[in-house]
Amino acid sequence: MSAITLTSSDGIEMSVDRTTAERSVLIKNMLDDLGDSGDAVPLPNVNEAVLKKVIEWCEHHKNDAPSASDDDDNRRKTTDIDEWDQKFMQVDQEMLFEIILAANYLDIKALLDVGCKTVANMIKGKSPEEIRKTFNIQNDFTPEEEDQIRRENEWAEDR
Amino acid sequence: MVRSLIHLPDEILNSVLCYSSPRSCAALEQTNTRFRPVTNEPLLWREYCQSHYKFWDNRHEIRQKLSRPVQSTDWKALFVSRYLVDCSVTRILGCILDSQTGRIEKFRSVVDLGYDAKDTLLRHGCVNSGDDVLARSPRAKALAIASWLEVNGLTGIDPGREYHTLDHNFLGMALQTTGHNSLPLVSAAIFCFVARGIGLNAQPCGFPFHVHVIVTPQPGLDMEGNTVAEDRKGEPLYLDPFRGARETPVSALRSQLAFLGMSTQDQITTLGESDTSAVVLRCGKNILNSIRLESQHPEALNTSMDVVSAKYAAIWSVMLLSSDSRPTDLRHHLPRLMELFVADFPSDLFLIEKYIVPLFQGLYEHEHILERLHVMKTVDEIPKRVRRRSEGNTSIRYAVGQVFRHRRYNYTAVITGWDSECGAGEPWMMRMGIDRLEAGRHQSFYHVLVEDRSVRYVAEENVELILLNFTELPGSLTAIAGKHFKRWDEKNLMFVSNMKDEYPND
Repeated sequence: MSAITLTSSDGIEMSVDRTTAERSVLIKNMLDDLGDSGDAVPLPNVNEAVLKKVIEWCEHHKNDAPSASDDDDNRRKTTDIDEWDQKFMQVDQEMLFEIILAANYLDIKALLDVGCKTVANMIKGKSPEEIRKTFNIQNDFTPEEEDQIRRENEWAEDR
Repeated sequence: MVRSLIHLPDEILNSVLCYSSPRSCAALEQTNTRFRPVTNEPLLWREYCQSHYKFWDNRHEIRQKLSRPVQSTDWKALFVSRYLVDCSVTRILGCILDSQTGRIEKFRSVVDLGYDAKDTLLRHGCVNSGDDVLARSPRAKALAIASWLEVNGLTGIDPGREYHTLDHNFLGMALQTTGHNSLPLVSAAIFCFVARGIGLNAQPCGFPFHVHVIVTPQPGLDMEGNTVAEDRKGEPLYLDPFRGARETPVSALRSQLAFLGMSTQDQITTLGESDTSAVVLRCGKNILNSIRLESQHPEALNTSMDVVSAKYAAIWSVMLLSSDSRPTDLRHHLPRLMELFVADFPSDLFLIEKYIVPLFQGLYEHEHILERLHVMKTVDEIPKRVRRRSEGNTSIRYAVGQVFRHRRYNYTAVITGWDSECGAGEPWMMRMGIDRLEAGRHQSFYHVLVEDRSVRYVAEENVELILLNFTELPGSLTAIAGKHFKRWDEKNLMFVSNMKDEYPND
């Protein structure tokens, strides 16, 4: 089993088992292009703290079967998250968003999905005001706009 | 620098919304102008339409719409209209179930919605077998109920509580107090009620020392819900809801009975269902047992209940329900019943006459009870001898209704009557040593009601008046004061007499 080296945006080098790193389609393609040069793979969009988390996830999931493309029989997507991943995602919001962005950049679909599901579960069942509170979102509507948008979405209110 | 949800790129917000419900999407849209481009993305709403609704009425031409470029249809508007149809079908279905009137019209309005109603109807019509308790086998249902009752603390007794506490005998106490503590019999009753509510045939089983529950399968079925041969009966299930959600193997019950030396025939009867009167009889005996054990350990007396009434009611039910048993049992209970009846429940005379007297037909107690009732009735008819505070009654110091403490025995009591000198018979005076009192027998004597509910006769020199507020009076005294008094006089700190016919001046 060969190890490769990754360099984070803040210049920290990390040695990672190649199969683990190849959960990232981006890294896998880069390694294929670079060949066995042994050069460090630069990741200018991911800092050390986030990269460590991402590697932890890849390490835990390195033996997962390649994800079956979403089963089209049941189109409604489940937001179930397995227990380990739920624990893994118990981080502050900034870290959560950083992990999602890193998964997107590194092209790790399964991790991106877990991140999006986590955010979806945080929105689930909440009123607009509760969502604002949860994510610290400013209300930037004028009163007229707010009234308008509320009426447009009246159908979704509890009745 | 990413700080909040609003800084995520559209493509990621789009994936988040794919995992969200359309209602969450609508909620998110209202939080900030940032989200409008994503929450109105036609592809997202086309996805919602397809993932939420499979059947579409022909008028939507859904296939054609799906094959055209996504922008040529207002998918959000289409989804919202389907969602509103969904809600109204759900509402109409609820109305149909709620009321038997106007159903035809309601059905028609569902049918008018055509295929747009189908998804909703299928959703409400399909039973989610994984979670649906009603679709389980009788055995699984019974265990699920026992487990639910246990988890919610509605059966059994909390650790550390005295098993025989009187409160544990009463269904009302078990249901209404926060601890929900109950003896096996009461736990079994609670279980049976809930189980019958969902169609199980659950009956109490009067197993010695510990009431169980028998759940019997429907004819032709066993407890797993499978059919059995016509000539065979499905084996019942034995449970002990007091101890929780475990099946009690019938073999274990049988071996306990065999250990008690019970014949096979008696074992079969014992392991059968108990009828209501047998259970009530047993409950009455349990109550008497609790009272007996608690009176042996008065320091452990830990009940908010009216023990006298509980005892009286229990003796009644035991006597009535064991009427076909041996006269010795009846004889055993009679003196206790009569004592309580005379002291606390004299107005039940007609009930005693109607129900208790016939039980003793042919026994020597029969005449005895009749005689006693006759005397009580006669006494009740005689007007009370009027005692005025004149003609030699002027020296009586205390009045009916005053509260005092006994100088020697220190109990609290209330005066209910008086004599100008000791009116009890000579033997009583001898026994009590009345002549050794300072003022001897020629002083005023008082009939009093004591805080322990007893009735006593007290010499004036032993009466020491005390002035208490109503809240300071012993609760046991205020509970029974109504027998003699109208109310409490807050100004004079004494009870107001209700015996003006006897003591007109008090």
